[in-house]
Amino acid sequence: MRHSRDGAAAAVLDQDWDVVVVGGGNAALVSAMSAHDHGARVLVLERSDVTFRGGNSRHTRNIRCVHEAGTPYNTGAYTFDEMWKDLCGIGTGPSDEELADLTLRESISVPAWMTAHGAQFQPPLAGVLHLGRTNTFFLGGGKALVNHYYRTLRSLGIPVLYQAKVTEFEFDGDRCTALLVEHAGATHRLRTKAVVTASGGFEANIPWLAKYWGDAAYNYLIRGPEHNDGLVLGKLLEAGARSAGEEKGFHSVACDARSPKFDGGIATRLDCIPFGVVLNNRHERFYDEGEDIWPKRYAIWGRNIAYQPDQIAYAYWDSKVQGMFLPPMYGVFSGDSIGAVATQLGQDPEAAEATIAAYNAGVARDASGRFDPAGKDGVSTSGLAIDKTNWAQAIDTGPFYGIPMRPGITFTYMGVQVDREARVRREDGSRFANVFAAGEIMSGNILSSGYMAGFGMTIGTVWGRIAGREAAIHVRD
Amino acid sequence: MSATETTPIMLGIPTPGARPASDLFQEAERQLNVCNSCRYCAGYCPVWPSLEKTTVLSMAQMAHLGNLCHDCRDCFTACMYTAPHEFDLNPPRIFAEIREDTYDRYIPGRRALRRLPGWSGTIIGFVLAAVIIVLLSLGTDGGALFVSGPQSGSPYELVGHTAMIALAMVPTIASMLVLLVAALRYWSDTNSGSFRGLFDLAAWGPTLSQTARMKHQTGGAEGCSYEENEPSSRRRYAHHLVMYGFLLTFAATVSAWAMATFLGLEPPYPLFSVPKITGILGGVMASIGCLGMLWLKPRSDRSQTTDTMRRADYGLIWATLLLMVSGLAAHLTNGMIAYGPVLVFHLATVVACFAITPYTKFVHWIFRMLAVQKDNVERHAVARAAAAKEKATAKEKATAVV
Repeated sequence: MRHSRDGAAAAVLDQDWDVVVVGGGNAALVSAMSAHDHGARVLVLERSDVTFRGGNSRHTRNIRCVHEAGTPYNTGAYTFDEMWKDLCGIGTGPSDEELADLTLRESISVPAWMTAHGAQFQPPLAGVLHLGRTNTFFLGGGKALVNHYYRTLRSLGIPVLYQAKVTEFEFDGDRCTALLVEHAGATHRLRTKAVVTASGGFEANIPWLAKYWGDAAYNYLIRGPEHNDGLVLGKLLEAGARSAGEEKGFHSVACDARSPKFDGGIATRLDCIPFGVVLNNRHERFYDEGEDIWPKRYAIWGRNIAYQPDQIAYAYWDSKVQGMFLPPMYGVFSGDSIGAVATQLGQDPEAAEATIAAYNAGVARDASGRFDPAGKDGVSTSGLAIDKTNWAQAIDTGPFYGIPMRPGITFTYMGVQVDREARVRREDGSRFANVFAAGEIMSGNILSSGYMAGFGMTIGTVWGRIAGREAAIHVRD
Repeated sequence: MSATETTPIMLGIPTPGARPASDLFQEAERQLNVCNSCRYCAGYCPVWPSLEKTTVLSMAQMAHLGNLCHDCRDCFTACMYTAPHEFDLNPPRIFAEIREDTYDRYIPGRRALRRLPGWSGTIIGFVLAAVIIVLLSLGTDGGALFVSGPQSGSPYELVGHTAMIALAMVPTIASMLVLLVAALRYWSDTNSGSFRGLFDLAAWGPTLSQTARMKHQTGGAEGCSYEENEPSSRRRYAHHLVMYGFLLTFAATVSAWAMATFLGLEPPYPLFSVPKITGILGGVMASIGCLGMLWLKPRSDRSQTTDTMRRADYGLIWATLLLMVSGLAAHLTNGMIAYGPVLVFHLATVVACFAITPYTKFVHWIFRMLAVQKDNVERHAVARAAAAKEKATAKEKATAVV
């Protein structure tokens, strides 16, 4: 509050700055601290107010970095080669191998840098142990991390202007000379020697998503803040920045259909899918619910549902598995029969009953004896058009349960292309002299599809550090 | 909120939360369901790992979580879902409401006493105690202390040793009995009627250590987010001063009693004696601690607690300060004509405070300590089970080799 209440807050808009950072999440804050460390006078413009500051970063919880040995916060080593293999194994692999390679190499020094700038970590705890070796967890999660960084900014004397919206960039050739900033009902022309754009993707801009996804986009839930509308990204592309990453590239998970349209974050995601079956609104199963264990299954179901009619799906399970997974925050629908649950979900009871009966007919006789939720148990159905290949028990023991699901979009991949110094590239192959990018707005340079837990924060921190440093060096030279 | 404002406050202690218990339960359940789906706070304190153990919450479990919470508020500052987010989470406040409900539910006589409006009960008690002391003084030695000032410097010039002990012991014993009943009822409810954990000595070790250090109020590594929602250790240090200061003054009282009763050493005691050193040191420490807390309190976020709990906090801080300052004043005025009235004031404060103890915020540590003990008992059980499993596996392997 102190920053924005400050009567002098608006006065920062009348000064000349070395580096203006657009954004208020992880990549932006890292950029600001990095630029400051390299001698620049820095101003941060955050679109949100204090409570909701931090963009998508406030919903994150860990970061994935290369460490050649175990650490107090990781259960073992995670080598460059292993992480590289992991990166190549997801989606279509790295978009730009050179920049991806740089990202991984730079990640080695990231945790120590974070600690030096106020971040706190915690050892992996129950429930997330499978990520404890590869990923380092923030004490209290992403918002706590962001709070620490804002505190560091304050102690470094870096001002933050909240509820400041950048609406326009002014260019002189390949050089950005000023930004138009809306703040407290007025538009200011802000002069700066360099700009770091770290303002996220466009996932909260539904009409933009609809350009690639059609009307389906209107049925998506957006897991992060409403401010992530890609305004700055759009302006850069308009000004001739070259785009990077897939237009349709995004990360999404299965979320409770009752979730808020925006900003539901981690709490609305669902983990019930492998324990039962999933029907679309035509009462058909459409994908192997037992394909894989967490976290892979976690990342595919958002997209699976996005491709279903009306972008909705319904998970059903029975009392045999109830209580084996995270309790959904909105509770579950239950009834004495599948039909009773289906009615509550707005599905046709007879059609749902028929699909579950057909599924049950494919379940092995000894399925329940072999069922093992701890790992892939190979308990598969047989003879179905779409078999469930693990954890396939009959759904036959009441009471029965169900929940409606929609795709929840976490972030988008399409952004601006950058070089090794985080300078934004232009359509004609040249580069902007003083415009840099870090974080989600340039994540498409590294990855275009698929998802690796904690890697978004790696990209944000590595590239924030580079962008801040290079912007400061640019100003100094 | 309007209910809170219109409910009379009894003895400055919290009346239960604005909503009825069933509503409180529903709201707590709603909030904790979101917490259980998120779990980002697991590294802050034992409340969150403890919550994760269950998927269906009972009121008794809520009471356990509420009292396990030491109000460090780090979870609130780390939470993405605080108002104006529509999830509107506020764990510190819901836990404060649960604690109020705990006090109300388990301390005998609380509901009945709530009918006394405002501070009148405390004031009546104080005046009554003062009158009794003065009457006793006049009845036993004609109130010589008031007329001619202190002669020997012994407080027993006011009221004889035995009478004074009796005066202090009656309310103290009554309060201790009430609190004992409350503690046992609370433990029984939160432990499904089993008292085994109460005698788990291995768990009491960490429980006492954690209590002595106020471990669970440290929050994240940088202290609790109390003052202006920024991490700081000031509140914990202030609390330490009050807690240890109070214990020292308690030691002073007990040692003075023991010296007179068993060693036949009559007051006044020299400056370098156990009662004097502990009393003065404790009084000064606790007074400074209380002042610190009074400084911190207006700087904390009111939305993270209830109005009634806040008033109860103030009540306890002021009462403690009054106890300490009047005790120190009695020490300083000894030998002066003012000694008599000051001593009456101090003793009446002691008697009144001890009498109303079960109905003040003073009780918080009892439930907190029991919650910490339950938590440690559960941890030990998990550790023992893991060790046993490991041993069994090792044995199995050994057998296989043979």
